[in-house]
Amino acid sequence: MRLIIREDPAAVGEYIAEYICKRINDFGPTAKKPFVLGLPTGSSPIPTYKVLIRLHKEGKLSFKHVVTFNMDEYVGLPRDHQESYHTFMFREFFSHVDIPPSQVNILNGNAIDLIGECNAYEERIKSYGGIELFLGGIGEDGHIAFNEPGSSLASRTRIKTLAYDTILANARFFNNDISAVPRMALTVGVGTVLEAREVVVVVTGQRKALALSKAIEEGVNHLWTLSALQMHPWALIVIDEDATAELHVKTVKYFKSIERVQEEVERNQAELKANGVKGAGVAEQQVGSME
Amino acid sequence: MSPSNGLVCFTNCLLPLEDGSLIEKDLWIDERQGTILDAQKTFFIRQERPDRIIDLGGNILSPGLLDIQLNGAYGFDFSVYEGDDDAYRAGMQLVAEKIVETGVTALVPTLITPNAYQTQEKSLYPKLLRLLKPFSTANSATLLGWHAEGPFLEYAKRGAHVPSFLLAAPDGIKSFEEVYGAENLADSEDWLMSSDGTRIGVRMITAAPEIEGVMQSIGELDKRGIVFSIGHSVATSDIATGAVQHGARLITHLFNAMPQLHHRDPSIIGLLGASPHLSSSFSPITAHYPSLPPYNPAVSTSPVKTSPTGSPPVKALSRAASTSSTTRSIHAKSEAFDDSMTPPQTPVLAANRAAKFAPSGVVTPLSIGHSRKTSRPELHLEKGQIADMEFERPFYGLIVDGIHSHPNSVRLAFSAYPEGCILITDAMKILDPNLKDGIHEWRDGQRFVKEGDKLYLEGTNTLAGSVVTLDKCIRNFSRFTGCSLGEAIKCATYNPAKCLGIEHKKGTLRPGADADLVVLDRQGNVVSTWVKGREVWSRPQAA
Repeated sequence: MRLIIREDPAAVGEYIAEYICKRINDFGPTAKKPFVLGLPTGSSPIPTYKVLIRLHKEGKLSFKHVVTFNMDEYVGLPRDHQESYHTFMFREFFSHVDIPPSQVNILNGNAIDLIGECNAYEERIKSYGGIELFLGGIGEDGHIAFNEPGSSLASRTRIKTLAYDTILANARFFNNDISAVPRMALTVGVGTVLEAREVVVVVTGQRKALALSKAIEEGVNHLWTLSALQMHPWALIVIDEDATAELHVKTVKYFKSIERVQEEVERNQAELKANGVKGAGVAEQQVGSME
Repeated sequence: MSPSNGLVCFTNCLLPLEDGSLIEKDLWIDERQGTILDAQKTFFIRQERPDRIIDLGGNILSPGLLDIQLNGAYGFDFSVYEGDDDAYRAGMQLVAEKIVETGVTALVPTLITPNAYQTQEKSLYPKLLRLLKPFSTANSATLLGWHAEGPFLEYAKRGAHVPSFLLAAPDGIKSFEEVYGAENLADSEDWLMSSDGTRIGVRMITAAPEIEGVMQSIGELDKRGIVFSIGHSVATSDIATGAVQHGARLITHLFNAMPQLHHRDPSIIGLLGASPHLSSSFSPITAHYPSLPPYNPAVSTSPVKTSPTGSPPVKALSRAASTSSTTRSIHAKSEAFDDSMTPPQTPVLAANRAAKFAPSGVVTPLSIGHSRKTSRPELHLEKGQIADMEFERPFYGLIVDGIHSHPNSVRLAFSAYPEGCILITDAMKILDPNLKDGIHEWRDGQRFVKEGDKLYLEGTNTLAGSVVTLDKCIRNFSRFTGCSLGEAIKCATYNPAKCLGIEHKKGTLRPGADADLVVLDRQGNVVSTWVKGREVWSRPQAA
C-alpha cells in the first residue's frame, strides 16, 4: 500500500486527478476496450472531480471510452432527489465531461427487485472484465462505500442498513431531519472493491484521522472496513496533513520516504523503457505497488 | 459521425434563477422541440447528452425578456389600423422580428384608447383584438395576445387617451363585451382554441375600478382568464383594495396616471404597502360605483345614465364637456402621463364622496377574501416574519426610463414589494434602438427631437412618450435600486410571467419551458437572443 500525503484537500484532489488522468491515458481506452472506473460520492472526492473536469476542458482527458460504476445509492430516494447519488454524480461530474450516458452505471435504489438489481450490477461489472481502478472515500467510522462497521470483508453488492452514525452524519443533507434520511442503501461490497485491479482512496480532514489510523496502523478488522485494503496488491491512499493527526510520526515519515523512492523507481523505469530494455514494461504494470 | 442529436448545452455561464440569484450552471435545451431540458433526466433516462456545446464566456444566460406593455415599435403602432388586415399583420411581424435585438422574446401588444377609435364611428377593438391572437414566426418574438388599455378609464387620469372615447360600463361585463367583442372575451380555452391551437396566450385589460360597472366586472374577467390591471384611475384605497379582492392582479405603470401617494389615503400606490392589519377586517365598497368627479372645474361629469328603453349600454363620458379639454391637453403625448392635476385624496374628500354616493349604491360586504386562509389574529414574536396576509398584493408595472418615475420612486416601490415588480417599456411606435439622436418625422406634420431616451415634440419641451428598451430598463433598474443584475432580470422575466400565469412556459429556465433566451454580458447588454432554441439575433462584432 502506498500513502501519499499532501498539504490540503485541493492538493489531494490535484494529485489523484492527475494520477487517474495518467492511468486512463496510459491505458489508451477504446470502444472495444474501455477503461472501467469505480467512483464514489461525498465531499472528499469533490476536489478530485473538479480537477478531472478541468483536465477534460483543457483537452488532456476524455471519458468517451470510460465506463463508470458508482459505489452506492440510497434505497427509496427518487432518482432526481437533491440528495440522491444520481443527482450528486450528475451535478459534480457527469454533466461536465464527455462521458456517454450509456456508459454510466449507478445502482437503482428504486428497483422493485433490489436483490436482483445488486446481482445484475455485479454481473455488469464482470461483463466489462472487472474494474480497472476504484476510487473511494471513507466515513468517519472507516466505512468504504456503505460497508458499515461489521460488514463482511468478503461482501458483494447488496442491500445495506445504514449505521446510526452515518444517518446522523447525513442528516445535514436532509434539513437536519433524521427521519428524512434514508435507512437503507444499495452498495458494492468490500469484496467488490478489493477485486478492482487498483484501489485509490481519498481521506481528508481531521475527522477522518482516527479511521485512517485504524485502517492502516492496526490489523485487518471488519469494524474498520477500509482496513481490508491491507490485503489489496495495488492500493493507494491519498490524504491531507489534517488526516495524519492520529498516525504515528514514524508511519508518516515512512510513507513520505516511500514516495521519494517511488519517484526514483518510476524515473528509472521510464529510462529503461526509453532505452528499450526488455521487461521494463512488465515492471511498469505494477509500478504503483512498489514498496 | 452520426447527425447531431439536436441537444445544446450552454456552459460557462450564469443562470438567473426565479429567486433573483445568479448561479454558475449549465443549461441544456432541445433545439428541435424549442424547449429547456431537465438535464439530469435527459442524461439518465433519455440516455443522451448534447452534441453541441456553446461556451458563453462567463456571460449571463437569461430567460428571454417579457414586455407586457408595448404600444408599438419600429414605426408600427398597434393601435392604428388603416383598413388593411394584411398591413396590420405585417406590422405585427415587423415588431416581433425586430424587437429581439432588445432581448425581448415575448410581449403583449398594448392598445391605447384614442387611436383604436381613430376616425371610426364604431369601436375598432373587436377587429384589432381579433387580429392580435398569439403570433410568432420562426425568427421572431412571440406576441402573446393583447393588452387593452382603455376605454374604461378615469377622465382625470386619462393621459393621452382621447377624452371623448372614454367610457363607463353600466352593464358590467356586457359593456365590456360590447366594446371589445364578446368572442375576444371568451373563456381562455375557447379563445386559445380559436387561435390555431396555440399553446399560451394572454389578454389584459387596464381599467379604472371606480368607473361605473367596472368593479363588478373584474371577477368575471378574471374567471375568463383575462388579467385585470388597475390604471388611469383615481381609486381610493378602499376601491383599489376592493378591485384586488375581486381579482385585479396588476397596477398599470405605477405612479403614472394615478393619485400621488397621500399618507392618509395612499390610493392605488398604497397597495404596495397593504397592511396585514387591514387585510382581515376590510370590507371595501364594491357595488355600483359611479365615476368620480374629475377634479377639473372646467368639466362637469355626471354619472352615465342608462336609459330604460335600451339605448346603447356603452356611452361616452360627457362628450360635449371634453372638447375643451382636448385642446388643452394636446401636448401630452405620453400615454402614461397625467394631463390634469392630481386630485387631492384626503380622507375628507373621500368621506364626502362616500356620503354622496353611498345612498345610491348598495354597499355589499365583500364575500371573497373572508373565506381565505386565516391570518394570525394575535401579535407574534418571530423577528423577520410578517404576519400572514389574507390579501395578496398586486403586481405593478414600472417604466424605468428615469423619466416616468424618479429613481428614488423606483427604489421605494421595489423595496416595498420586490416580488410584484414588473419592468415595462410602455414604448411608443418610435421605439427603435437604432434611431439616431436628432429630429425625426412623427405624424400629422409634427416632428420630434430624440435625445437619448427622451423624446420631445420639436420646438417644445413636452415629452412625447417612452422610447426606452427593456434591456436598458434592466440596467437602469439595477442602478436605481442598487439590486443585483439577477434581481433586475427577474423583474423583466419571471415576475411578468407569473403575473400573467405563464411562468411554466415563459420568463423561466424551468425544464419544459420555451427555450426563449437572451445572453447578456455582465453589464446587462444584449449579446444574443434565442427563440425556441435557435439564435435569432446576435450583437454585431465590433469593427
